[in-house]
Amino acid sequence: MRTRTYQTSYSGLVALSTHSVTWVWVGLGILVLVLLPTLLSSFGLNMLTAIFVTSVGILGLNLLSGVAGQISLGHAGFLLIGAYAQAILTTDYRVPSLLAIFLSGLVAAVASLVVGIPSLRLKGLYLAITTLAFTFIVRHIVLFAEDITRGSAGMPLEALSVFGFSFKGDTRFYYAALVMVLLFILMTLNLMRTRIGRAWLALRDHDIAARAMGIELIRYKLLAFMVSSFYTGVAGAMVALQTRFINVDTFSILISIEALAMVIVGGMGRVHGAILGTALIIFLPELLNISFALVGDSFRTLMADRIYEVKGMMYGVVILLFLRLEPEGMAGIWRKLKRFWVQWPLSQ
Amino acid sequence: MNYFLNLLMSGLVIGTLYGMVAMGFAIIYRATGMVNFAQGEVMMLIAYMSYTFATLPGVTFIPLLACVLLAAIVLGLVIEWAFIRPMLGEPMFSRVMVTIGLAVVIRSTVILIWGVEPTAFPRPFGSAVIRFGSMALYPGQIFSLATLAVLSLVMWLFFRRSRIGIAMRATSNNETTALLMGINVKRISAIAWALSAVFAAFSGLSFCLMFSLEPEISQMGLRGFPATILGGLDSVVGGALGGLMIGIAENLAGGYLGRGLKEIAGFVLIIVVLMIKPYGLFGQREIERV
Repeated sequence: MRTRTYQTSYSGLVALSTHSVTWVWVGLGILVLVLLPTLLSSFGLNMLTAIFVTSVGILGLNLLSGVAGQISLGHAGFLLIGAYAQAILTTDYRVPSLLAIFLSGLVAAVASLVVGIPSLRLKGLYLAITTLAFTFIVRHIVLFAEDITRGSAGMPLEALSVFGFSFKGDTRFYYAALVMVLLFILMTLNLMRTRIGRAWLALRDHDIAARAMGIELIRYKLLAFMVSSFYTGVAGAMVALQTRFINVDTFSILISIEALAMVIVGGMGRVHGAILGTALIIFLPELLNISFALVGDSFRTLMADRIYEVKGMMYGVVILLFLRLEPEGMAGIWRKLKRFWVQWPLSQ
Repeated sequence: MNYFLNLLMSGLVIGTLYGMVAMGFAIIYRATGMVNFAQGEVMMLIAYMSYTFATLPGVTFIPLLACVLLAAIVLGLVIEWAFIRPMLGEPMFSRVMVTIGLAVVIRSTVILIWGVEPTAFPRPFGSAVIRFGSMALYPGQIFSLATLAVLSLVMWLFFRRSRIGIAMRATSNNETTALLMGINVKRISAIAWALSAVFAAFSGLSFCLMFSLEPEISQMGLRGFPATILGGLDSVVGGALGGLMIGIAENLAGGYLGRGLKEIAGFVLIIVVLMIKPYGLFGQREIERV
């Protein structure tokens, strides 16, 4: 029987994949994703692109909340910083847009030190509130620093182009997003099997015990913050490149809650969970739309008039349901399904 | 000088709202060790319910207050019973996330039922300005100041003198020991949620009496955080003082330092305060052992 639990060497415990057949499945999956644009309408394609772009940020939040155990309600702020950094760097400073994506991540990471350093002395809930404060402050700075950010008018962006090849258009940007999310998944998986990833897990499970085992709390907490906001900054830059126009209103507090919903729905601390959770939360409004259309026109107008509230209610209900019924999230469901089929017919 | 006094006074009045919100946060933190991120939304829901009560024909202020307080207590108990108690023993992250989920659901429900447009709330005390020397106050503002003063005094006595208050302090200090001493910890948690809803009711009413009935009430929950942190998450009376301080600081910053600073002054202040005193001004330092 296949098992991942028993290993005879330490390298086996930290290997990226225990079975070589996994790589075949991964290869097939990527092949399907590469071929998909030929089958999908532009609506479906845009949705998949949105899932990829959002996944990058959720992977980052998952590292901070799920792996390192720090609650952040401020990721809308980092997303905002990433998006504006991308816009300002490419339009005002003429930085090549691919380079600008990673620079935006770095800008967000540096900004995270502003929250990270005061939060070193804080734990849990105090930290959540400081990050919330950070979002408010960032929004205000962006609104009032009109010389740099153009205030409430928002900023248009140029399309992504790499060495003269422009990623304008749905299909081309889809591939850019796909490459980006694969890059970040690989990065996350590798990060989690190094000393840093294990130190974060220890930090989450018991920080004093972790400290007694020689993990420098300050360094690893700050690192978790910086890495997480780097991811989110990059995601912000990608969001900006996808929508090609950014505005402070796009990055409300609801985004932070939506992001936490994605992490919880996916399953905290799991990489595939982050992707599944993102996909589910992005698909949900569409599912609602379809089911409302079946019920009748009055519900459809409700959906059109009050989309913000209906969405908010949906995130709330999904968070509550998953926390009560399946705290492990989609990753847990996936694990149980897999165990069922692997052990069949002996499964319970 | 007059400008300064007026800023101070209006800051004090706004501060009473923050103070009441902060007291609502602190009492739940005190009894259960968690932060209720839905405090602002509970406040919003009760405010909208009280509007429905107030527009019934022939309702005067005292019956209205009684109805609202009763509704608040029931609401607090229901939330505790349906969402908070089943999560006992789960990690803190999940328990706090439940309140965040609840917050979004309540806000959306209220807007879907009552709509987003601001509505004028009935003014049971009239709207004539009352003058104190060079300062002028509306009756709603005086109601808010008086309520905060009474609530702080009652809470101070509650935690010093009453059996339940002392039991609550014991529970927050060490839940297991409190359980062994014969304190009904589940009942303490229910009482804390009910009391917090009562604070939400008073702050919601005060908000409506001063401004109008609008969805922005729920923002008061987020805007009350600086007060809570400044006073110390576990100090109920400290929260009231923290609220007054934040209100004054915000208004002075808005009045003297320029536009836009009013909204973020509180948040900037707490980030600075937390660097110096991580548990707020009146909060208790937690000492941990492995």
